[in-house]
Amino acid sequence: MMVEDELAVMNPENEDSDPETESEEEDEEEENQQVVKLAEPSKTAVYNRDGLLERLADISWPDNVDWSHRLNIDREEQEVVDVNDDLAREHSFFTQALDGARQMYLSFQSKGEPFLRPTDYYAEMVKTDTHMEKVKGRLLAEKRKMEESEERRKARDNKKLAKEVQAQKMKDRAKQKKQDIESVKKWRKQRQQSGFDKDGAAGLDLPFDEDGTKPFQRSNKKRPGVSPGDRSGGRATFGGKKFGGKGKGPDKKRKTREFRDSKFGFGGRKGLKKQNTAETTNDFKGFQKGEVSGKNKRAKR
Amino acid sequence: MGKKRKHTETEALANGNKEETAIERPKRTLLGFKDGSTEEENKETSVVTFRNKEKVLVTCSRRISFRYRHLMLNLVSLLPHCKKDNKVESKDAKGATLNELVELKSCSSCLFFECRKGKDLYLWMAKCPNGPSVKFLVNAVHTMEELKLTGNHLKGSRPILTFSSNFNKEPHWKLLKEMFMQIFGTPKDHRKSKPFYDHVFVFSILDDHVWFRNYQISCPHTGTQKIDRGDLEKMTLVEVGPRFCLNPIKIFAGSFGGPTLYENPFYVAPNQIRSLEKKQKAGKYAKKVKAKTRRKMHQLSNPLEVDEFADMWKE
Repeated sequence: MMVEDELAVMNPENEDSDPETESEEEDEEEENQQVVKLAEPSKTAVYNRDGLLERLADISWPDNVDWSHRLNIDREEQEVVDVNDDLAREHSFFTQALDGARQMYLSFQSKGEPFLRPTDYYAEMVKTDTHMEKVKGRLLAEKRKMEESEERRKARDNKKLAKEVQAQKMKDRAKQKKQDIESVKKWRKQRQQSGFDKDGAAGLDLPFDEDGTKPFQRSNKKRPGVSPGDRSGGRATFGGKKFGGKGKGPDKKRKTREFRDSKFGFGGRKGLKKQNTAETTNDFKGFQKGEVSGKNKRAKR
Repeated sequence: MGKKRKHTETEALANGNKEETAIERPKRTLLGFKDGSTEEENKETSVVTFRNKEKVLVTCSRRISFRYRHLMLNLVSLLPHCKKDNKVESKDAKGATLNELVELKSCSSCLFFECRKGKDLYLWMAKCPNGPSVKFLVNAVHTMEELKLTGNHLKGSRPILTFSSNFNKEPHWKLLKEMFMQIFGTPKDHRKSKPFYDHVFVFSILDDHVWFRNYQISCPHTGTQKIDRGDLEKMTLVEVGPRFCLNPIKIFAGSFGGPTLYENPFYVAPNQIRSLEKKQKAGKYAKKVKAKTRRKMHQLSNPLEVDEFADMWKE
């Protein structure tokens, strides 16, 4: 009964643990692991060594049988593999098969017999073509999936990078702006010190002229408080100043006119002025919820 | 073989008769004329030489589940020397009927897939008519239809059988190895077999189970049979399937019966496993109740001390 002894040695902890002395919780935990085999070999198991050997002698082929009948290869002892480790287990099987195939190939070659299927030898295969098509389709689908996920990952990375770059840019821009303002201040101060002489101003090199941008060009951006239809850029509403009046009446009149023009608009297309802009839509100044609802209620009654 | 021998004998007799009257004409074969004397010698040796005439009957019990049936069909496609037969009722007397069936089909061994309760698969592997036979419990079944197994090989090419070396350690493993070799190995020059070798069977013992794998040999060769060492290094295997794991339960001396020669000392029947699991689940409530009473007892035996500051803020 050598096997039994060996196996009993293999799991000594199980043998030592006496279920009655152990606490109940632990015992049940042990039971929770699926029982696939007995912890210790049962004593009543039959093992008829002589009978087995006799039967083996009965059925086995004669000893002088050519090896080509058997086509078997024993693989010499490999390291002990844990059964529950799928990868290691499959690897051991794989290496066993590969070693066997190589060995077999060499022996076939030494005898000069054909071994592998020639590429032009076509015959029925174990798996049908339709099945192999399916297998191929699955492999391709898997590959595609992998590629897609890779692409998505790349895009995500790029986005992250772009965000960083953008932040850096904004920072740079803010810095530049600050610098510009600083330089303008400096220039003003210098001008003040030099007493506003034109030569000084002309001699001074304007810092924002250097990088090619024209300093006094009008920006394309909208100005605040100017309706989109106003082509004069809001200047028309404050327009009348250069005709600074002398009399009091017309001056006052003009002022009120100016105010009204600025309020209601003057000239230009009316349609665009009446459109909402982002500012006006966000402006809740004239909207009083409670009052309106109250009125309505009263009206209903 | 019997037939052939008879043929030679009768021929020899006929020759003997003829020689008295006339010189025998050399026998004509497909490849031309054969020299009579050498022919005779060849026949003499061929009587001595071994010829594998293994024939395997593959059947299953009734009410087998589809997965196990597919496994059986896969094995049928792997073994060109097998005969598939109808399902057999799995009764106590199935041994006798199976033996009869095997004899009827003039087979020398049998693989019988017995499915019980629609979930446990037992595999009987028997040499007929006078044994031995083995009963296995089959675990971890993966059929060839699974798309993960991407290999493919010729139908009917003879497999290379690789055994792990622990098959030689114990007599019962030795017996099993011999049986595997005879049943799973395709006989040489079988009429349905192909003359090339492109797959490997793996029989490996791990944790007292026999694990079966089937790999295709794929080698990037250029059409010629000769490949050099570098190509040999490039030789790889692709798994074809099926996969299964056999747990030997018992070995009997006869075919489908007879005295027991070996009994797996670690074997637990799947029914027992299931009942154990059920028992565990049933114990859950009892355990809870027990814990509750224990807690109560504990609380009663160790009462809390009266807190002297308890009423401090109530006034």
